[in-house]
Amino acid sequence: MTVSHSDTPHAEYPPHFEPPHGSTWKFFFGPGLVRGGWMAGVGFVLGTLLVLALRRWWGWEPYWLTEVILVVGGMVATPIGFLGGIGAFDYWLHYISGRPTRPEDHSGHGARTWRDYFRVNTDHKVIGVQYLVTTFVFFTIGGLMAMFFRAELAQPGLQFVDSQTFNGLVSMHATLMIFLFIIPAFAGLANFAVPLMLGAPDMAFPRLNALSFWLLPIAGVMFLASFIAPGGAFGAGWTGYAPLAEGQPLGQTFFNMGVQWAGASSILTALNFLVTIITMRAPGMTFWRMPLLVWANFTTSLLVVIATPFIAGSQFFVMFDRIMHTSFFTPEGGGYVLGYQHIFWFYSHPAVYIMMLPGFGIVSEVISSMSRKPIFGYRLMALSLMGILVLGFSVWAHHMFVAGMADWLRVPMMITTLLIAIPTGIKVFSWTATLWRGRIHLNTPMLFALGFLTMFVIGGLSGIYLGSVPIDIAASDTYFIVAHIHYVLFGGSVFTIFAGIYYWFPKMTGRMYNERLGKWHFWLTFVSFNATFFPMHYVGLRGMPRRVFDYDSAFGDLNFVISIASFVLGASFIVFVYNMITSWANGPIADANPWRAHTLEWQVSSPPPIFNFDEIPQVVGGPYEYGVPGARHAVMSPAKEAEEVHA
Amino acid sequence: MSAHAEVLHDHHGPPEANQSSRVDARTLGMLLFIGSEIMLFGSFFAAYFFVRVVNPSAPAEWPPEPYHFPVFVAGVNTAILVTSSFTMHWALQSIKRGQRAGFLAGMVLTFVMGLAFLTTQVVEYLNVGFNTGDGAFASVFFGLTGLHGAHVAVGLSLLLMVIIRGSRGHFSPEHHHGVELPGIYWHFVDVMWIVVYATVYLL
Repeated sequence: MTVSHSDTPHAEYPPHFEPPHGSTWKFFFGPGLVRGGWMAGVGFVLGTLLVLALRRWWGWEPYWLTEVILVVGGMVATPIGFLGGIGAFDYWLHYISGRPTRPEDHSGHGARTWRDYFRVNTDHKVIGVQYLVTTFVFFTIGGLMAMFFRAELAQPGLQFVDSQTFNGLVSMHATLMIFLFIIPAFAGLANFAVPLMLGAPDMAFPRLNALSFWLLPIAGVMFLASFIAPGGAFGAGWTGYAPLAEGQPLGQTFFNMGVQWAGASSILTALNFLVTIITMRAPGMTFWRMPLLVWANFTTSLLVVIATPFIAGSQFFVMFDRIMHTSFFTPEGGGYVLGYQHIFWFYSHPAVYIMMLPGFGIVSEVISSMSRKPIFGYRLMALSLMGILVLGFSVWAHHMFVAGMADWLRVPMMITTLLIAIPTGIKVFSWTATLWRGRIHLNTPMLFALGFLTMFVIGGLSGIYLGSVPIDIAASDTYFIVAHIHYVLFGGSVFTIFAGIYYWFPKMTGRMYNERLGKWHFWLTFVSFNATFFPMHYVGLRGMPRRVFDYDSAFGDLNFVISIASFVLGASFIVFVYNMITSWANGPIADANPWRAHTLEWQVSSPPPIFNFDEIPQVVGGPYEYGVPGARHAVMSPAKEAEEVHA
Repeated sequence: MSAHAEVLHDHHGPPEANQSSRVDARTLGMLLFIGSEIMLFGSFFAAYFFVRVVNPSAPAEWPPEPYHFPVFVAGVNTAILVTSSFTMHWALQSIKRGQRAGFLAGMVLTFVMGLAFLTTQVVEYLNVGFNTGDGAFASVFFGLTGLHGAHVAVGLSLLLMVIIRGSRGHFSPEHHHGVELPGIYWHFVDVMWIVVYATVYLL
């Protein structure tokens, strides 16, 4: 096997445009974070002036209305100024100006130094890493908030914060974890892996891909900025139910608008994935030869494109109700209160599959290659993803069994909810059957995949309980729900993200992570995760309500245990961060294909060449034919690493 | 949209990607985007019917007394917008046949009609006799027509882009994606208006 140094591919890169600090003019006016900074300020001023001018023109007193200025100047014009400043629109503005089209010189493609990770970059591999690092920053912030309110909850009564701050912390924790961690972390992993797996040189729209990434930190900063708003951060939960959200202080507006930016980011990425998967597959890569990660992202992207506009709509309505005095959801004006929950959950139930299906894809890759066996029931695995996609749109009202909605809607929604257990069960049994008599390599990615499998079954089972109307009525809004969603989203999604990070770490960085630390990370996480969230089932069934800062002293002991366990869970993350940073800086050089996997990303060097392939490979078989004599997934023409791997 | 038709293949360039579908990537991207837009309109229609039909306190008369929707003015506006779809089609067919004059005339006509539509809508808002705070019927009225107006504005900027590039000599019978894609979007805005008009004003 070839040993490739992580720096070697960089030497072959085409010459770069000069660094921005070549001259003072370029430093301030060349595309980059500096120009982004001052153009954000210019955007804010322009947006504010526009509002003031329009209000003056129509004679609306008072001209200065903080919430309107904040929305238009601060949350629309400022981010647009920032995006223009970092150069996200440079090519399009050039195109619009009507000058001759510039031939693509690929100067904004690929990373030669660490600085290239801080600018608009069209390389899907760089964007993948940008996504992952950004999302883990927000994961850390969201996790610290969780530990903060766990400290508050360690004893009954109020210790550290007031009730509105507590609500803000809980809402922010959920919002960051969902919109700034799980959904975009999957987008980051897929950004890195999917074009390589398809045998494509990049995504279909590389500039759009760069733009989608840069929308994300905007959303994150917007959410966090609500802490400095008068009245504190938004505190109506990540669900932001109306009309509760409409009576909230200013911070709620940050949620309404932050969701728009995060949603735009996901929609544009999903659109990009769909076009890439449909139009850029290598010759011979039929849909039935695609790796399951690609299948998973295909279905996820369909969900995103179809469902995400609904959360955009729901947050627009709340914002209109707040600042334009409309009455979409206020009964005094003739609005329909339950409409919010219907529209919100029509997105947010499919969103739980947006947060789960890419993880199914990652786990399929890991389990198959680490068990050295073809994935059991490949076609059924792909079809069950499509089954979840279709069923996922017909179950949203199971979140509303106690909301006072129409009675006749309950039983149909219960039946469709329980039906989802069928495609999900197919997947769980297929993974188990893949493990059966496999030559299992218990390394860190595989441990996280198996951890996912076990924890997700627990989360799925409590989901079946909650899907049935009578149990849901009893358990609704208790800690049983908190336990359920953390078993699904942490034990499910987050474990698969860790599995994916460890699995593709050698491919992304060209270096190997520390296996011993990886195993420590897994066992610490696995044990403290269960110690944190399993008791919540019990306190929930005993009647402890969620989202409340105080509780009955009878739950005191268990909550103390939960809080201690949650600190251990937080500490286990330090092991991961230490492992990632030290291994990335000076871990041992990784092989091109340390897992001896068959999918295409492992047939090129680690890290991959700047344009992925010297020549597009020819796909000749399925991706998981481990142990099948003579089976090949693809013929790589001149890439020498691949020849040696196969030899 | 963004990718240029002839990517130069110098020594350092990427390998030519395999085209695995007969559908053009940019057209597919635009269609998917429109799919997403239809769902955004869907959420606004959902809010509309929640307020008007599902809501137990929905007024018996729509719009409630003493308000009226300007059905006739909006109808004329509809006719303008529908006509602009035909001029858009004419512009596209002209550039496909290499007739630059017809192409530019079609584009300018389309743009002017779009602008007339948007101006009429602003004037209608100013004279409609109620404001956003006058109840749920006004919320959904301004919601749907305003969302559509925002889409007209986006469509107009796309058309302006085509006009600028077209007047500078771009586009030819071989290369007219930059006309076709804004055209698809404009037709979408147009068809969506027919649905919005039928729902908000006629129903």
